Amino acid sequence: MNPLCKPVEHINRRAFLKGTLATAAGGAFLNFGSLFNSDSIAAEAKKLGKKCILLWMNGGASQIDTFDMKPGTDNAGPFRPINTKVSGMPVCEYLPKVAQHADKLAVIRSMKTSEPDHPGGIMSMHTGYRPAVNVPYPEIGAMVAKFNGPADSDLPSCVHLGGAGYGGGGGAGFLGPKFQPFSVGRDGRLPSFTTPYLKADSEQRRNDLLRFMEQDAAKESSAEPFEAHRLAKEKAWRLLQAKGVFDASQEWPKYRDLYGDTEFGRGCMMARRLIEAGVAFVEVGQENYDSHADNFTVHKATLSVLDPGWSGLMTDLKDRGLLDDTLIIWMGEVGRTPQINNRVGRDHYINGWTVVLAGGGTKGGMVYGATNANGVGVKDDPVSEGDLFATIFTALGINPRAKHYVGPRPITAAPEKSKVVKEVLA
Amino acid sequence: MFDKATLAWTLPWQDDWVTAVTFIGNTRKLAAGNRKGQILLWDLPEKPSGDAPVPVRRLDGHTNEVTRLLSTPDGKYLISASYDHSIRIWDMEAKPAGNEEIILDARTRAEVAKKAGSKAPPPAPGVKVDVQPAERVVALHKEWVLGLSMSRDGATLLSGDDAGEVVLWNRAEAKETRRWRIKGWAFAVAVSPDAQLALVSERFPLVFTPADQRNAVKIWDLTTGQVKHDLSAQFKMYIGSAAFSPDGKQVVIGHAGETERGKLFLIDAETGKKVREYAGHMGGITDVQFSADGKFLLSTGRDTVVRVWNVEDTKQVAELGKSRGGQFKDFLHALALTEDQRWLAAGDMVGQVLVYSA
Repeated sequence: MNPLCKPVEHINRRAFLKGTLATAAGGAFLNFGSLFNSDSIAAEAKKLGKKCILLWMNGGASQIDTFDMKPGTDNAGPFRPINTKVSGMPVCEYLPKVAQHADKLAVIRSMKTSEPDHPGGIMSMHTGYRPAVNVPYPEIGAMVAKFNGPADSDLPSCVHLGGAGYGGGGGAGFLGPKFQPFSVGRDGRLPSFTTPYLKADSEQRRNDLLRFMEQDAAKESSAEPFEAHRLAKEKAWRLLQAKGVFDASQEWPKYRDLYGDTEFGRGCMMARRLIEAGVAFVEVGQENYDSHADNFTVHKATLSVLDPGWSGLMTDLKDRGLLDDTLIIWMGEVGRTPQINNRVGRDHYINGWTVVLAGGGTKGGMVYGATNANGVGVKDDPVSEGDLFATIFTALGINPRAKHYVGPRPITAAPEKSKVVKEVLA
Repeated sequence: MFDKATLAWTLPWQDDWVTAVTFIGNTRKLAAGNRKGQILLWDLPEKPSGDAPVPVRRLDGHTNEVTRLLSTPDGKYLISASYDHSIRIWDMEAKPAGNEEIILDARTRAEVAKKAGSKAPPPAPGVKVDVQPAERVVALHKEWVLGLSMSRDGATLLSGDDAGEVVLWNRAEAKETRRWRIKGWAFAVAVSPDAQLALVSERFPLVFTPADQRNAVKIWDLTTGQVKHDLSAQFKMYIGSAAFSPDGKQVVIGHAGETERGKLFLIDAETGKKVREYAGHMGGITDVQFSADGKFLLSTGRDTVVRVWNVEDTKQVAELGKSRGGQFKDFLHALALTEDQRWLAAGDMVGQVLVYSA
């Protein structure tokens, strides 16, 4: 063992390769989703080329302190709204840069969802379904990877930069490990163990030798596990060939001011790089929203990180002509109570909270739905998590009624009774 | 003295949380500010008996939470800091601009009405108070002013905001004499009585990612503008309150936030070394100050009690009030003590000011 390496790095390298093995193996024998009905739909969606970036507000951001402010009520906090170029769409004073993009935002203020706590909320807001013991619903990233991901790429189709806590949003579920999200750190940097310790030509010769031997061995044994193992190695090698996209060190100084010099800002720029490189789905996580105590200091600090990151992403995508084909989703697993508790905090809230969509396939400069005057409860046009996912899938060119079979049971992409919120679609 | 302190009155002010309190000079005139930006003044009776006194004046101007209230030693001026980015100076001898009727117990009235099956709470009468505008609005900050501290003579003030701007300024002209920027928010600021030193605690409140919190505690030499002692390695925690001793030789800091046990730490201002620590409050400290004679420390916390500590032996001398059940039951935001140490007030989150007589 190299004395300069810590044991954990060796373990991580093995874990990294093992994870990739599972991905390839899924393609060979674990994809029990039986994707018969969805293949043609997937091909159709790929033509559209719509991609998706999920800005995941881990813990649940406060709607009343961001996009659904209630000034003058007992529930208003110390934050003040500022007007935007869109009439009727004031936003928090601590999102001044995002406010400049108001004409690109579709603000859904009437989310009425079913899971009040983190694990359930994370699952349902990643899958569109309430968690179920007997159905491993795939998360949105896996769905987008399947339907809109490139058929043959060195890069994974679904990448998480940080992202949801509590074990994540469900993974590939019944789509099988072929579509399992590939996770790296919040800032998008690959672990150091992905740097090869051999020279490139040595690495190549070594890999070619292994390929030769495995091909020879395959003649003797064609069992699927051997093939899966070989595919996993190929996938890992290919990813390492394309790993340059994860190295933003040259580009970051130029964009640091635009995105904000934070881990989240760097993650947002990495999301743009990955989208530009053909990745279909990227989730960028931001922490610190679960403000049961000291909500206002916590949110003010957190929004100061969010504002340049998110606005910088929209600016950059727009400048590169990518925004129209890239849907940005801003959401977490829950909203926060309109009422302020006696810890100066806001708790979880699911009966009237906000999700924001921007870019690809959506109509900007609009507000959909409304909560009551003091922010308690939905007044108009409730939107469930299923409705939201039906809408998101439609925006991405994915038929929300596309069926997958889990055994004999057909599962639609979005829940069967969900409705598409057409008003927010372009 | 403090061990025999009793609750004299509970002054209702149910409009919102009471976030700041102070006594005006060496008098029994009490000022309190709330989350809405209102400030009320009470003239407390000489003896702690009878009904709770009602406020006599309201100071109008702030539009967001009042974070700190200080009085000049001569009692002529009240200085207030706020989330509205301003600091206001109020002439305590000014004539009122008018008067208005205010209702102090709106929540109680609503509850009574609800029990009686009535939708509307009982109407006025309320309490008639004089109203007064600020003499001066000090615009030295562009973000929430979190900290405010004053020198012994009342001539020099130190203020800090959550953009990390720390400003030393003179009260008479409201003119800044020194300004510097820190990496985190300036949560607690304290200037020494002779205005030669300052303690500033820094923090960026990303609570779930400690690496991003930028916690720091530093003693600054105000004559040079340089760090005299960096205490950050000793105190890797959220310090939310600080105060110098009357002789300026020591400074106390309080561990804030929803911590299991928020302690007080006494630091030698000259050496920067920790001298003593005090058991503190369950759930974190919200305010701390020395008694005028320097023998006691008084603190409020998230455990809804006022605690009084013997500076020398670190023992708790008194516990005023009862804990309402820990972190999920309100907290006391701020405290004030008269110079003669006979009266003590605490601003209560439930919308009241607790006044103790010692």
